[in-house]
Amino acid sequence: MSAREIAGRTALYAVLAAVTVLVCFPLIWAFFTSMKPKEEIFLWPPTLWPETWTLENYRALLEGRDAYFQAGAASGTAVPPSAFFLDWFVNSLIVTTGTTVISTAVSTLAAYSLTRFRFPGQRAVPYLALVGYMVPSIIFVFPMFLVMVEFRLTDTLLSLILGYVCITLPFCMWLMWAFFRGVPIEIEEAALVDGASRLRVFWEIVLPTAWPGIVAAAIFTLIVSWNDYLFGRVFMNSMENLPLTVGVMHFFDGTHVDWGLMMASSVLMTVPMALLFMLLQRHLVAGFGAGAVKG
Amino acid sequence: MDVRLERLSKSFGANPVLKSLDLTFPERRFVTLLGPSGCGKTTLLRLIAGLERASEGAIWFGDRRVDHLAPGERNIAMVFQSYALYPTMDVAANIGYGLRVRGIPRAERGEKVGAVARVLEIAHLLARKPRALSGGQRQRVALGRAMVRKPDIFLMDEPLSNLDAKLRATMRGELKRFHLDLETTSIYVTHDQLEAMTMSDLIAVMDQGVVQQYGTPEEVYDRPANLFVAGFIGSPPMNFAEVEVASDAGAPVLRLAGRTIPVPPQFDLAAAPRRLTLGIRPQDVRIAAPGDAGAIPGTVWMTELIGSERLIEVEIAPRLRITAEVKSEVRAALNAPAAVAFETTKLHLFDPATGLALRRRA
Amino acid sequence: MRLRLSDRQVGILFMLPLLVTAAAFIVWPVAEAIRLAFYRYNPLRPDDLIWVGLDNFERILDDPLFWDSFRQALVWTGWSILFQTVLGVGLALLLHTALPGIAIFRGLLLFPYIVPTVVIALNWRWIFNSEIGIVNHALLRLGVISDNIAWLSTPDMAMASAILLNVWKYTPFVIICVLARLQTIPTELYDAAKVDGAGAVRRFLDITLPMLKEVLVVVIVFRTIWTFNKFEEIYLLTRGGPGTSTFNLAVYAFEEGMANLRLGVAAATGVIMIALLLAGTIVYVRVSGFGREEKPA
Repeated sequence: MSAREIAGRTALYAVLAAVTVLVCFPLIWAFFTSMKPKEEIFLWPPTLWPETWTLENYRALLEGRDAYFQAGAASGTAVPPSAFFLDWFVNSLIVTTGTTVISTAVSTLAAYSLTRFRFPGQRAVPYLALVGYMVPSIIFVFPMFLVMVEFRLTDTLLSLILGYVCITLPFCMWLMWAFFRGVPIEIEEAALVDGASRLRVFWEIVLPTAWPGIVAAAIFTLIVSWNDYLFGRVFMNSMENLPLTVGVMHFFDGTHVDWGLMMASSVLMTVPMALLFMLLQRHLVAGFGAGAVKG
Repeated sequence: MDVRLERLSKSFGANPVLKSLDLTFPERRFVTLLGPSGCGKTTLLRLIAGLERASEGAIWFGDRRVDHLAPGERNIAMVFQSYALYPTMDVAANIGYGLRVRGIPRAERGEKVGAVARVLEIAHLLARKPRALSGGQRQRVALGRAMVRKPDIFLMDEPLSNLDAKLRATMRGELKRFHLDLETTSIYVTHDQLEAMTMSDLIAVMDQGVVQQYGTPEEVYDRPANLFVAGFIGSPPMNFAEVEVASDAGAPVLRLAGRTIPVPPQFDLAAAPRRLTLGIRPQDVRIAAPGDAGAIPGTVWMTELIGSERLIEVEIAPRLRITAEVKSEVRAALNAPAAVAFETTKLHLFDPATGLALRRRA
Repeated sequence: MRLRLSDRQVGILFMLPLLVTAAAFIVWPVAEAIRLAFYRYNPLRPDDLIWVGLDNFERILDDPLFWDSFRQALVWTGWSILFQTVLGVGLALLLHTALPGIAIFRGLLLFPYIVPTVVIALNWRWIFNSEIGIVNHALLRLGVISDNIAWLSTPDMAMASAILLNVWKYTPFVIICVLARLQTIPTELYDAAKVDGAGAVRRFLDITLPMLKEVLVVVIVFRTIWTFNKFEEIYLLTRGGPGTSTFNLAVYAFEEGMANLRLGVAAATGVIMIALLLAGTIVYVRVSGFGREEKPA
């Protein structure tokens, strides 16, 4: 390697490292803040590295409502929002899982059907899905709320699941459609010749091959439903039924803002996404590459 | 079991692909559907397999009408152009899938798969996934999948087209051998006339959704039924030239480029039209000295050496060139005068209006 | 007896869930959204559904706040897209190099895309806090500023912070799309250019850029449509404030519906947004040629 190449590489690494630090800094800073006791958080000038490490903020979030009452809080006093954190976390998990299962299942079945059988008007479906994908949730949210009122579903987790299914389905539909269009049909025909029924072919041949597409659709759905704020804000009102995103904004309700608690919940909300990201990074890139920039 | 097609038609929308076909594939024969791409040969195979529904007509396997049956109910096996191996299953599962679907118990399945794998010499690959196999190995797995089931009919859709030239030559022999061992009726689709010639008992030459000629390789080669078959079969392709029927001292002769050619004995031109299309294969053309009687003079336009043979193209009239395939020892200088002479008994004559070959004397 | 369905039955069976879901939760709400735009409706008095014709639209078009929101949405969209595209392409090119360890950088730089907006908004409010925020502290220490900047409580700075948040979160999307395209450019093209004597700059201008053109147009159109309609990125950071200085159409619609309980006006705003969106979609279909090379199914 020549001296020039080494210099070039070093410069490249330096630029990348600088950008990466800048990009990651808000998250790192959130983590440090969450590990500091209250007094240190308000120190000026701020300490970069926590002088005292504490898990106090996390304990306050994760001990739940029962612990709050057992600690001797008189009934009738307002329960602080942080006591609901665990409920919110569980709500978000349920809603995210439910949405992902329904959205991917519905879109996989329909996309397979659309690419393998003939229907009147089937060529319009991907176009409609694309348009649906671009319609912002703010347009859906109020009429959808009225539909939920009609079905008597407001303030239930099911209403959130259905809402997220509706905003994720168009893109999942499009992704799976593009995916199945690229899967060679000969493999299925070979199985038909081998004597398998259409359902069996779908279950034993198609699904295992479609796995990368399904994973991409599932990741998209997971991200949307874990991250959404708007639907939760409009559909839900009981404290214990909120999803995480709506719940933590209640930390701003009082006059005094507890930044340590806030940053700890930031970290806890990011962890599931970070795990998912580490596990499935390759699929994410492949899926969005295929989906977002047409097949 | 023989396969019979009765007035079989297929169209995609308003686009007819097969036009009222009547064809019988005799039992245990190896029949090739040969034709250029788009001629309908693959569609015909897919109709026989049940992967497409016919628009009209009937398909019979023996005395059983099958065109309403699903592919899995027809007891056929099929090898696809891409082999269509199941990517998520290993080789053993790929070969055994048809048995598993039919509810054959695991032990019996393993035995049969093992036996087939030994015959095909892929026993050491049983635990591999298809993507870890070479082209030839994939081909064998696809064959194994067909073999293990003991099908009534064996269908192949251009199974050699993804292999390199050398492997293709070996696999041709193996496939033919495989057909004989399997003792089934085989139907083979290809656009490669060499494959059709070397492997088939019968060839159905197809074009534009119609069977142009159905016969043994010898029949199709020696007595093409029309201009399409004559031009499609044979390499290098047959020479064609327009000729006039004239009369020389009361006996009919053919006039080509100002010369006369005696009428081949196999044809009776009494009822023939005045203008005909003459066809002669390059192998049946000789290079003669420019002054030879009966030869047609011209100039050498191009020569190509193709191994032990040499192709010499002679221009005998403006833009009318005749190719001769001769021994490589025959030399010809570019632009030098040369003459071509035809093997009269190997001449073909066609009616240019209908494209059909003239009738031969019995 | 084994269940054996015909292809037609399987096809219909597989379509049913989509048709039911789409009818109940997509088609119905959209129809409802359009219908509501012509009514006066307050969710607290659900029996009062009064047909008002085009009143809602007139009211919106007469509302100076609507036009402010529209202008601010253009500012917000324009700057966001500009920075995202430039940074996205630049970083994608850096990340496309085959250096050891590049995968780690790739992963870290794509990560913001999946961080929940709420989390970013919380973090932003913390680091841009005017009294104890780390950003002001750092800038003071470096001598860039002499007084604390009120990042989120002056109109211009609030807009700038919101744009920065958007750029931070969505530049990875551009990187992903551009990287995917870069990986499909055959290396032979570069070899050919080298043989022809083209230097690194020429190779970028003559090969890379033209090959990226198509994907960039698509990405820009997509991101423009989405950014223009973004709600959470702005609302969670500034609630549209200070005052109404960071309102865009989505925040406007939300406030009309949620705070003022004028669902009819919110729906009419939505209809206007859909009209703008359709215009954008037509542009997209034109430039990308979507579906043109599609084979018959």
